[in-house]
Amino acid sequence: MRGYENNKKYESGVSESIGFMLIFTMVIVGIGLVTLYGYPILAKQQVSTDIQIMEKNMIVLQNDIKSISYKSVPYKETSLKVGGGSLTVRNASFNTTPSFKIWDNNNIFNTSFNPGQLHYESVNAQTVIDIENGAVVTRTYFDAGSVMLASPRWFSDYDPVTSNTATVIYFIGMNSTNTMVDTSVGTVRMQLAITNFTQVSLPMGDTVFVQYIPNPANDFSQAWRGYIVNSLGWTETPPNSGIYQLPPSNTLVVESYDIMVKGL
Amino acid sequence: MARLNDDAQWIVLMGFIVSFALFFLAIVVNQSTVVGQTTAEGVIEFPKNDIIDVRNEILFSSGIVNPTNLTDVKNDISSIGLARKMAIISFNATPAPPGSSYKNVILIHYNNGVTAYNETANY
Repeated sequence: MRGYENNKKYESGVSESIGFMLIFTMVIVGIGLVTLYGYPILAKQQVSTDIQIMEKNMIVLQNDIKSISYKSVPYKETSLKVGGGSLTVRNASFNTTPSFKIWDNNNIFNTSFNPGQLHYESVNAQTVIDIENGAVVTRTYFDAGSVMLASPRWFSDYDPVTSNTATVIYFIGMNSTNTMVDTSVGTVRMQLAITNFTQVSLPMGDTVFVQYIPNPANDFSQAWRGYIVNSLGWTETPPNSGIYQLPPSNTLVVESYDIMVKGL
Repeated sequence: MARLNDDAQWIVLMGFIVSFALFFLAIVVNQSTVVGQTTAEGVIEFPKNDIIDVRNEILFSSGIVNPTNLTDVKNDISSIGLARKMAIISFNATPAPPGSSYKNVILIHYNNGVTAYNETANY
């Protein structure tokens, strides 16, 4: 029989205790590595999962807002889980920034609008996700940049039937009757409050400007710059001023909606 | 020392295979919510019924013969479209060329910022 001589195993030089020590050391080193490196990675994963879930939640809420404003649905509610931070309403009536200003060269039209915010702040990931004027925007603490996750519905239209060019701008404000905060599972209930609709005919050669004035503590100007300059193709004059020039149009349509958050 | 019986190693192997399969299934399930949401959004965003309604109304109105009334109806449809449907809507009706079996050639324009619809209809 192979490996046996006189019915005895070759066991010289094989120590059970050394083998045990080797295996035991490997197990302990393994546990140590997992505790040292694996656990922080898992915790980080949890935080980034919270952020991702919240990004999706905010887009769901933006869809609700779209239904309320563009589709004239009077009331919407969504249940969601807010993880790793808190969701609050920043009332449009009390928060003067951020705000949007629109005016034209001939002083036909001049208005400003405070959209307020639906504000999510993650303590662990130091990230902010906001619904601001119908757009979902995000940024990290202590950094200048910001990104738009889902855009609002501003657009320019050329009508081949009437040869008319029109630019449509939507303002969507968030309001609430009292202070609200949600930190876990909750239902966001929203209602359409006030709708305001303005249609202006512009003379030839008139230029319209729109300006985004950020809240210095919660600055999303980079997100709006990206959307307006890159997606819509409007020009920023002068650069980095937050003032954007609309494409030449005959008609300017500004529709503003006030959404009342009934509960979080 | 008794010899090791390794006849049942396939059980361990099966365990591995099942856990990997579960892992990939979890990824697929995770993606499915995103896909479902995007599809639902697409359906919500696409203004099919709005276009059908507007088109019917325009084709119906295009039979108005009095030019003043027709202009009024055009303006009304544009204003109501902007105020209620949040879309730029306009149309123009011109008499069809002689010999044609249709009455009018109608140009329809619809744009709500997501969907633009242009049509030349013989009606």
